[in-house]
Amino acid sequence: MSDLFAFDGAPEAGYAQPAPLLSDEEAIAGIPESIRRKSLPRWPRASEPELVRHYTWLSRRNFGIDTGFYPLGSCTMKHNPRVNEKIVQMATMNDLHPLAPTSHLQGLMAIFYEMQEMLAHCAGMDTVTLQPVAGAQGEFAAIRCIQEYHRSNGEGSRDKVIVPDSAHGTNPASAAMCGYQIIEIPSGDDGRLDLEALKAVVGDDTAAMMVTNPSTLGIFEPEIAEATEIVHNAGGQMYYDGANFNAILGKTSPGLMGFDAVHYNLHKTFSQPHGGGGPGSGPIGVKSHLAQFLPKPLVVREKDEQGLDGWSYGWEDPVNSIGKVQQWHGNSGAVVRAWAFYRRYGRDLEKMSEHAVLNANYLRHRILNPSEELASKIPAMPIDGAPARVVKHEFTLSMSPVKDATGVSGKDVAKRLLDYGYMAPTLYFPMIVPECLMVEPTETESKEVLDKFAEDFLTILTEDPELVKTAPHTTDVSRVDEVWAARNLVLRHSLGE
Amino acid sequence: MGCLLAWCSNIIYFSGLSLCGEGSCSICVHARSRCVAMVDHLPNLGREAIMLKEIGFSSIDELFSDIPEGVRRDSPLNLPPPQTEEEILADARRLLGANVAINSRPNFLGAGLYENFVPSMVVAMATRGEFLTSYTPYQPEVSQGMLQALWEFQTMVSELVALPVSNVSMYDASTAAAEALNCAVRVHNKKATQKNVVYVTEWLPEHRLSVIENYSCGAETEIRTLKWDENGMVDLKSAESAHGSCAVYVEQPNPFGVIDENLAELKQIIGENTALVVGVNATSLGLLEAPGNWGADIVVAEGQPFGIGPTAGGPIYGIYACTEKYLRQMPGRIVGKTFDDKGKDAFTLTLSTREQHIRRHKATSNICSNETLIALMGGIHMALLGPMGIQKLALRNAAACQVTMAGILAHPKIDLLFTNGASYNEFTVVLPGPAKDALDHLDKLGVTAGLALCDVMSGADESWLHITATDQTNSEDVAALVDGLGNWIEGLGQSKEMVNHE
Repeated sequence: MSDLFAFDGAPEAGYAQPAPLLSDEEAIAGIPESIRRKSLPRWPRASEPELVRHYTWLSRRNFGIDTGFYPLGSCTMKHNPRVNEKIVQMATMNDLHPLAPTSHLQGLMAIFYEMQEMLAHCAGMDTVTLQPVAGAQGEFAAIRCIQEYHRSNGEGSRDKVIVPDSAHGTNPASAAMCGYQIIEIPSGDDGRLDLEALKAVVGDDTAAMMVTNPSTLGIFEPEIAEATEIVHNAGGQMYYDGANFNAILGKTSPGLMGFDAVHYNLHKTFSQPHGGGGPGSGPIGVKSHLAQFLPKPLVVREKDEQGLDGWSYGWEDPVNSIGKVQQWHGNSGAVVRAWAFYRRYGRDLEKMSEHAVLNANYLRHRILNPSEELASKIPAMPIDGAPARVVKHEFTLSMSPVKDATGVSGKDVAKRLLDYGYMAPTLYFPMIVPECLMVEPTETESKEVLDKFAEDFLTILTEDPELVKTAPHTTDVSRVDEVWAARNLVLRHSLGE
Repeated sequence: MGCLLAWCSNIIYFSGLSLCGEGSCSICVHARSRCVAMVDHLPNLGREAIMLKEIGFSSIDELFSDIPEGVRRDSPLNLPPPQTEEEILADARRLLGANVAINSRPNFLGAGLYENFVPSMVVAMATRGEFLTSYTPYQPEVSQGMLQALWEFQTMVSELVALPVSNVSMYDASTAAAEALNCAVRVHNKKATQKNVVYVTEWLPEHRLSVIENYSCGAETEIRTLKWDENGMVDLKSAESAHGSCAVYVEQPNPFGVIDENLAELKQIIGENTALVVGVNATSLGLLEAPGNWGADIVVAEGQPFGIGPTAGGPIYGIYACTEKYLRQMPGRIVGKTFDDKGKDAFTLTLSTREQHIRRHKATSNICSNETLIALMGGIHMALLGPMGIQKLALRNAAACQVTMAGILAHPKIDLLFTNGASYNEFTVVLPGPAKDALDHLDKLGVTAGLALCDVMSGADESWLHITATDQTNSEDVAALVDGLGNWIEGLGQSKEMVNHE
């Protein structure tokens, strides 16, 4: 094991810096002795070659899309084009200050403007802000806008937000952070939105309903227009969770479905690399009646012959803005990467969605329809999380029949997939599907990869249950004791204490 | 030559077939070139028919037949045509080339986001594909690398601020401050005599205060203001008023750059049942006592100077550290050390029962995606600096600040806003005219002279100029700033004379 804190080399080891402009004594002259640091942080004392080897060693113990197939449902783990990294590393991107004069930021603002317009167009919304830096922050910002909208109409007493039980956890968490009471409605037996359940809770206390469509089951909600109408008739607003936007680009839009607000996940649909947990980017789009409440500022432009491509770009604050949700103008780097990604497809972005959906349906079919030879060896097959002729970009499998027959759980199969060189699908979500595995192949996987994955997945179902239950066997560590971690909470290196 | 219609090109390039049978007509050739732009992304382009047939479908449209007609888009997206990598790169160079990088000229703009130097090795390591293209490490068995790197990051942050617990990042300093106050309310509200009340020091910039206000909606927290004394330090007499509230938020140095010498006493005054939340300049801790050693309960900071350039404001990352008292109410992801089932050391995400994917509306925060990769960059940068390196970095910042301040104050018409305290990284001066005019004047001379505080701070006088000097500031930069300001002030005198003549 490579231990960062075992590096204890020369006292001055580390990054060599130019000399300060003053002597040390002069530099700290005005700072009272009482508030000066007494002992330095016990960081490692290591040279560059040692650290390069340490971090390379760590990287080799980490699984990314670059390593192998990453069918993590709801996360849209598509290929991350490297040109995007090259672009954001340019000095004229990396070394920009958000408070610099707008004359220093015209190129960035041109890209921002194009992204605002492109995202609004794709989602059928009127105005987009790029400020929220994650999907959850987008939800929070948009629900805050909806809150202010109701207040401005004298309807601040609307204090409930409706979410289906299949919703991402961020939906209820974000609405609660705005102070809303959450009303969770059960899905129908088929996993779809239940209009009767919705009608039973909707009323003059409804502020909004938050919906993911296609749902977290990967199914397009056939009665979405009806649901929208029910909520609107009660005076509520409809919020679209864009986590699954990758499935429908160019085919339909939240605007066509009747939604008032939407967030986009640029780290899903538009390939901002997820970096082990972030950064993300969660712009929001709204219909015109909500635009005056958006976080500030937005990018606007006017004709200017001297300007960049004939335009001059500036900031503008929406008149009744909720203010700021992030310190600056959002994750600009993620926005620029997403811009470079969308430019690859341009008007043919729907091809991206077509291939995402084709791959999901293909893989689903391959898994649920094994060859006769394989089928004869499989004691029990998983079943569809939600019956449907077609799915969108992802699908769910209930592993309950497998567990009942052999004792092998969804988690066991997920862990065994790691041995085969795959990332595991999303596990036990949505909660409404028992023993759920949620599989999202994305458009950037080849037929060969999908064929092989299906074959390996089915092969696991034929294996000795004990082998699967004790998986993984070939990874850097075997099954990790998460309970011990939570009970003992070793949250930092002891540094020998 | 049947291939004349626009829809034809669509069919061709996703079936991979040439309908005209020759493959040489202009539309087919055009279709191929469009195809090329995506063929390096979509491995199944041209194989749709084979795959569809295998699963019993006849067309792509059939896969979308579940979308009700009433909500289907009836026209194609009105966007520009697809581009190849080379074309995109050329456009990116052209557009971004119209920007002015802060380090391409003398720069004194900072105010929470700093011109810095990130050693080359940091980006090279962090952007290794295994890190860059991984998701949140939900499967620890194949994510030990990122988990260990983050656990090491937690340790280095813990050492830096002298508090035992650190999470793996917030979005930025402002959301870290806002969520820290929410956390403090959850921990202290029960015993608080001022229920749902927190105090923040006066003169917070809008990009901090507005975020705090938005994040306070859920708990309906009342945000009250704590006054400063004449030196820009917390007024200890009025600090008594915060006793019994849930939290006090202060910044060190304050938003004008002044080092506050009263904070240890402030903690004595507010006592154990009120959290002292300190927003700290991260690099200053190479020089200033760690907040955990003088009473801070929660420390938040902008991590950006460690790991990444100012990058137009994002992605950056917020540091969040606290005492154990706040651990179970804190936001964000945390890595713990544990064992695998063979007894080998291993790492995993832990305490996820606080989080939205488990607790839903009862979660301590809605945060899911965070800024992990940037925190990784920060961790690598910290590891490379080492203890002596962070001290030296702080000394360089302190020295640059002193040199710049001395140069400017040599001008008889420029004064410090706060004259008594020491400053770190930045300071604020009162100009003999509007700061915005000075900035415009110096911008034309090729100097980015700082920030007009009235742009970001409610109530700030238009004459207040906020100036930041960092480890990247050199003597020539300072000379350019001093000369430019002198030149501007001279011009002011002349224009006044002209007015008098008229």
